[in-house]
Amino acid sequence: MSTAGHALGLRGITRRYGNFTAVEDVSLSVGSGEFLTLLGPSGSGKTTILMCIAGFVAPSEGAILLDGRDITGLPPERRNFGMVFQGYALFPHMTVAENVAFPLRVRKLGAAEREAKVRAALDLVQLTRFADRRPAQLSGGQQQRVALARALVFDPSLLLLDEPLSALDKKLRAELQEELKALHRRVGRTFVNVTHDQEEALSLSDRVAILNHGRLVQEGPPAALYERPRTRFVADFLGKSNFLQGTVRQAAQGRFSITIGNTQLVQALPAGAAEPAVGALALLSLRPEKIGLLDDTASADNVVKGRIVTWSYAGAGYTVTVHTADLGSLQVTLPTWRAPIAPAEGLPLRLGWSADASVPVEEDAA
Amino acid sequence: MGGAHRPGPFATGLAWAVALYLLLPISIIIPVSLTDQRFLSLPVEALSLRHYGTVVSSPEWLDAIWQSFWIAVASTLLAVVAGTLCAIGCWRISRRSTDLVRALMLLPLIIPSIVYAVGLYRYFAKLDLLDRFLGVTLAHGVTGIPYVVITVSTALAAFDPRLEQAARSMGAGLAQTLRWVILPRIMPGIVSGAIFAFIHSWDELVIVLFIASRDVFTLPRRIWNGINENLDPAMAAVAVLLVIFTVLLLLLDQLLRKRRP
Amino acid sequence: MQRASARLGFRPDPVAREARRAPVGQGFRRDAGWWALILPAVLLMTVFYLAPMVQVLAISLTEPQPGLGNYERLFTSESVQRVIGTTLRICVTTTVVALLLGYVLAYKITLSTPGVRRWWVLAVLVPLWISVLVRAFAWVTLLRRQGLVNETLMAGGLITEPLPLVWNEFGIVIGMVHYMVPYAVLPMLASMGEIDPRLLSAARGLGASRLTVFRRVFLPLSRPGLIAAGVLVFIFSLGFYVTPAILGGGKTLMVAEWIKLQILDLLRWGLGAMMATMLVVAILITLAIFSRMVDLRRIFGAGGTA
Repeated sequence: MSTAGHALGLRGITRRYGNFTAVEDVSLSVGSGEFLTLLGPSGSGKTTILMCIAGFVAPSEGAILLDGRDITGLPPERRNFGMVFQGYALFPHMTVAENVAFPLRVRKLGAAEREAKVRAALDLVQLTRFADRRPAQLSGGQQQRVALARALVFDPSLLLLDEPLSALDKKLRAELQEELKALHRRVGRTFVNVTHDQEEALSLSDRVAILNHGRLVQEGPPAALYERPRTRFVADFLGKSNFLQGTVRQAAQGRFSITIGNTQLVQALPAGAAEPAVGALALLSLRPEKIGLLDDTASADNVVKGRIVTWSYAGAGYTVTVHTADLGSLQVTLPTWRAPIAPAEGLPLRLGWSADASVPVEEDAA
Repeated sequence: MGGAHRPGPFATGLAWAVALYLLLPISIIIPVSLTDQRFLSLPVEALSLRHYGTVVSSPEWLDAIWQSFWIAVASTLLAVVAGTLCAIGCWRISRRSTDLVRALMLLPLIIPSIVYAVGLYRYFAKLDLLDRFLGVTLAHGVTGIPYVVITVSTALAAFDPRLEQAARSMGAGLAQTLRWVILPRIMPGIVSGAIFAFIHSWDELVIVLFIASRDVFTLPRRIWNGINENLDPAMAAVAVLLVIFTVLLLLLDQLLRKRRP
Repeated sequence: MQRASARLGFRPDPVAREARRAPVGQGFRRDAGWWALILPAVLLMTVFYLAPMVQVLAISLTEPQPGLGNYERLFTSESVQRVIGTTLRICVTTTVVALLLGYVLAYKITLSTPGVRRWWVLAVLVPLWISVLVRAFAWVTLLRRQGLVNETLMAGGLITEPLPLVWNEFGIVIGMVHYMVPYAVLPMLASMGEIDPRLLSAARGLGASRLTVFRRVFLPLSRPGLIAAGVLVFIFSLGFYVTPAILGGGKTLMVAEWIKLQILDLLRWGLGAMMATMLVVAILITLAIFSRMVDLRRIFGAGGTA
């Protein structure tokens, strides 16, 4: 990795529109060369934060720092940040080469240097052949790559991406995700990406910041977020989850147990988590793929019985809804390849999972 | 069932009648201008270009045409520069206050020019702008602004604001963004506005009646005098030339519009 | 996973949209450059448009003596009242006739195929932009005593005496309607263009006659355009100078010509300025009343982009 990346810091960013608070007290740091994704549903404030970083929206409160220097008051054209806009915002009246040359022309670079840099940038995204086309003559994926080349050609201190893949169809999106990741590795710059697509966020980023209602809910590496969501919202937003709520009965030796109706469940206490108080309510998040199917003799930390209510075939796995007496409906995913059972409505099942398969999460603040 | 709902024969017949009412009276001036008679009438024995000859060789008509032309060019320039910049500013800032500015710019379309002319007569007397090229240019320029503001605003409505943000994010300042991104994209709207502002000045009579008398004597003013004093066929020749000129400008505008994406 | 993305979907995101187009900064300072672009036009407009207009109001209140004397004439002077009456009568007639004729054209244009539509629109636009003087001149050529219409009728033996077709109210209305029809068509076209053509085909498919489709579907849906066109034509007619002056021949006076007469010929500045002020007031009142019913931007948007 080169050392071209710069570190970005957000300190208590708040943005209000009249009475409406779009972003509330968000603090974040993005390390040099890191790929950070702001992830959240619509209205979560992620785009507003990106626009604050870019300089198009001034925060009502808080500061934005680049390598420790306060740039909050700097207009966008003086920030030297590359940006890939939603829909790409390519200049329709210019060719691909002219589009990429634009930031260099603005900086009054000489023609020779300009041409060399444009060529290098187009090489980087493998579009050299298309230099003389207009954006309208390119496919969505090609346009996206032009936008990337244009945003990188002037050695920006930071690359901002506003839903860069949302305009593309699913298959192309997966392809370009790989390309984007490879590009990030090659140029070694700090990337800040905004998306509402959690798959994209998980697969692209070094770190993900999850936003909801204008607040930062949780941030961390993708695996950590998926495996240890802090709140119900995070667990629900990143993938699917079953939620089990019960009363804490006892807690000892890194484990605690809860009861829901007549069922007792055992939960491992994650590293660093505080032991819950006996008698308190606890909420557990249990991923459907972590529930196993048990035959009559097998045992597990937690075992429940139920019947299949509905099921559907989804290629790699079956999505099965199982009704249980105390836990209500549970979502379970079973592999289709050499499936242990043939799902059918009403089929009785024995389900089991280990104490560390589920995670205790907090209820969301109202 | 199928097929779209099209107008019936009754509606089509009426529409043709209205179209003829709009177009025929204007086209009547063509044969009249070609008359071989010395008074306003249809050609009797032969078609003749003598009345066109009269116009082309008359220093009075030519002088009026040139004066009108230069006033129209200068006032169009004024209207286009002020109107375009204003429309862009309003579009970009886009607040209640700029809505007010835009409404202000439309006033000359709404308020009859007779009212403006009355006020201007007194006002220009104080500024010593009566009967001066500059005075007429200013008056025509200011009243031409609405045409430019409207056409440019329409063009801007189709302009993706992200293009402007993209330019800024790449380091372009306001002047560079204007020159390289905004203006090229809205050029057809600007040209449309320029054409309308030009026609506005070229045709304007009421203001000129009040603020110009001898030194500045525009084409509409001369036609006005011609209609009120002597209805001779040379008038018809001038009218035809004017119509041809206007139609050419409109065709140019249509051509530019078609090229607009 | 599917559940989450289905819930989020690609629906437009109001907050995100707000953020994307939000202005740079909140303060005036960050927008200063853009305000500077507006400045020349505002200055020009203030110094060379608004200031002369204020002058009109000032004259009406100060000449010949300070006070409301000129405005009293609205109630006392028979000639003032007669001019206002004539103007209103001609304007209402013109508006009604222009709306009827314009409606027919707009209806035909809206329901035509795109290829045909282009030519019809041109038939409306060309007269709109042809000099009003040329048009008035053409009408004089046609309608005067020795004009083409009278000559033709007399040569055909249909009449023995020339008909009084011009230099009266009849001539004014003919010429004004001719001028106003294009202005009536444009706002109506804009609003009729928003009518979903499938609605009309569907109504026909359900067995409605052409007349019923028109009366029950098309007419009600085209009402906003009709009102907008009416307002536009009426306010343009109120202060119209050229056509009434030429085709009225000095015998039938409308407000605009009356004002010119007071000021340039009789030098009664106060009275002329008072009438000019009242003209503006009448137009602004008309706009204020109808701005509740139709979007004014639509009226002038359509009128100007013609």
